[in-house]
Amino acid sequence: MKKHPRFLSLFLFIGVFIFVIVPFVPLILTSLSFGWRWPDVVPQAWSLRAWEYVVNDGRTWQAVGISLWIALIVTAINIVLAVPAANALMRYRVRGRWLFEAIIFAPIIIPPFISVMGIHLTFLRLGLTETVLGVVLAHIAPTLPYMFRAVMISYQTLSTDWEDQARMLGAGAMPRFFHVVLPHLLPGILAGASLSVLISLSQYLITFIIGAGQVVTLPILLFPFISGGDPGIASAYSLLYAVIAILALIIMDAALKRYYQMNKASQNQSKGVKP
Amino acid sequence: MKRYPITAFSIVALTLSACSSEEASESSDADSLLTDDWKVIQEAAQGQEVNMYMWGGNDNINNYLDEWVAPRMKEQHGIELNRVPMNDAQDIINQLLDEKTAGKTDGSMDIVWINGENFKAAKDNGLLWGDFTGQLPNFNDYVDAAAPEVSEDFGEPVEGLEAPWGKAQFVFVHDEAQYETPPKSMDELADWVKEHPGQFTYPAPPDFTGSAFVRHVLYETTGGHEQYQQPAAEIEDLEQRLEPMWQYLNSIEPYLWREGETYPESLAKQDQLFASGEIGMTMSYDPALAASEVLKGRFPESTRTYLLDGGTLANTHFLSIPFNASDKAGALVAINELMSPAAQTAKLSPENWGDLTALDLEKLSPEEQQAMNEVDLGEATLSIEELEQNRLPELSSDYIDIIEKGWTEHVAKE
Repeated sequence: MKKHPRFLSLFLFIGVFIFVIVPFVPLILTSLSFGWRWPDVVPQAWSLRAWEYVVNDGRTWQAVGISLWIALIVTAINIVLAVPAANALMRYRVRGRWLFEAIIFAPIIIPPFISVMGIHLTFLRLGLTETVLGVVLAHIAPTLPYMFRAVMISYQTLSTDWEDQARMLGAGAMPRFFHVVLPHLLPGILAGASLSVLISLSQYLITFIIGAGQVVTLPILLFPFISGGDPGIASAYSLLYAVIAILALIIMDAALKRYYQMNKASQNQSKGVKP
Repeated sequence: MKRYPITAFSIVALTLSACSSEEASESSDADSLLTDDWKVIQEAAQGQEVNMYMWGGNDNINNYLDEWVAPRMKEQHGIELNRVPMNDAQDIINQLLDEKTAGKTDGSMDIVWINGENFKAAKDNGLLWGDFTGQLPNFNDYVDAAAPEVSEDFGEPVEGLEAPWGKAQFVFVHDEAQYETPPKSMDELADWVKEHPGQFTYPAPPDFTGSAFVRHVLYETTGGHEQYQQPAAEIEDLEQRLEPMWQYLNSIEPYLWREGETYPESLAKQDQLFASGEIGMTMSYDPALAASEVLKGRFPESTRTYLLDGGTLANTHFLSIPFNASDKAGALVAINELMSPAAQTAKLSPENWGDLTALDLEKLSPEEQQAMNEVDLGEATLSIEELEQNRLPELSSDYIDIIEKGWTEHVAKE
């Protein structure tokens, strides 16, 4: 780590700066500006109007909570769906495997708008519109492919030999899964979960159509301001959105690290007990 | 192993259904509300939660409803008014259409904010509840129901299906410090754009405001609005009659912003160009919008609005109740309250919104009139009298369709 060529790290730093940090600068300035006209490079006057609106509106915090809640449940369901699916498709001879994969990956290629129109009518009949459950179910279509792909790749590097070995040592199906398969899949699951959370957080159209205004997530609040042309408030909401997305990722990453540390500790312990 | 995912899923499903919204309230005897006594309605409205679906892209309007209207509604009528932000009124109609197809009777939209094309689409598809405006005391007391701007919505008879909430009028917006004498007719505008190339443009139809600009061109270049009061299908030589309008628009095109190669896709984009000083003029179908943009610091202090000498288009925006609204009594009381002189006066102030009143000033008491006249509209806004005296009627939506399609064909593609 230490012996990176200096120009490479400099290059990386400039890259991160230009593509990650710089886009935030105009957002921050716009959200705080009071009149920002050409040819001023920076605003000449400042105002907290946009932030006051965003922070004082009770809907904002409700929307943050609901957005995260939906993303969390969507991700949990995705894990439950993607792990067995990847297991089956990667390790068994499945006839027409390409067909199953095509179906799972289809939402990436087909615009969600097309499917959600049909889903809306069905959900209306089932009474699932305007409910968090309906929105969660609708979010699974665009997020599952990413989770599935990440878990699939993890499975590719996991030979059945490991499980056979565990089986020979007398481990049942459950211990085999939790002690052999799951630890190997975890980085993949985390990568998939990060994408799943981010994509769920950013859904506007699907949430809007299925939630029908009763399930208010952050994008639902943000979009009218973008189209209505209030750059100040739109910027403030965008920043809030970015902070929440980044926080979610950091928390997930920290949770994984903690899990590995605990695992290491317990492994060391068990080594001590049984040589 | 097999059971695991299923149990996990059902646990998730259970938790979710527990927190999903509860559907209450029966709509069986809702129709009697159309004939009931106002007192009965008020009692029925107590404790109802009224969802008001409306465009949510303006913090002033949102704050007016959340901070001015909602607390009063709760205090005076025991109604919980819940504003639901939408991106576009068209979405409301699509939603209701699907609900009608699926046979949903316990809809969550209690009040919708619509007008023009959306109203026509809703009316044609039977998405609105019924003739309710006659039930509202404030409608009966303060609104001139016979006035064309109340009895018709873009040429479509209202028939009591929606109650007027406010009025809007088309204005041009310019910076007085930059151009002292703006063009006040289409002929003057044509000369003006040639003198100031790149300083003018309009949002591409079907943008609402851009489309309205084109209708002004229509009125001025083809000889007035009177000829278009009949249905479009009855004018046989409509193509030829529209021809001067296309010629006009194509003749100014080379002198527009970016030489007319492209048009701002929305009024928001055009306002952004004006705010950043890239163009010298913008327009608005809201006569007080410029004033509130000045208050927000987006437009310069010297921003002014003006009308064409021949007048500008005016329309009314309305509140309506969908066919499957769950809390119709609450919706009636809420709409009535939104039409009260107090609420309308507050709405007129640019700090709250700056929207013109739907009420007939002459029907108000002298004190109420005075209160309304005392509202400071801001320097950028014209006086109510000046606006009222220069109103032109809107076209019906069949013309608007023809013009918007024709614009793409005759102007955008050439």
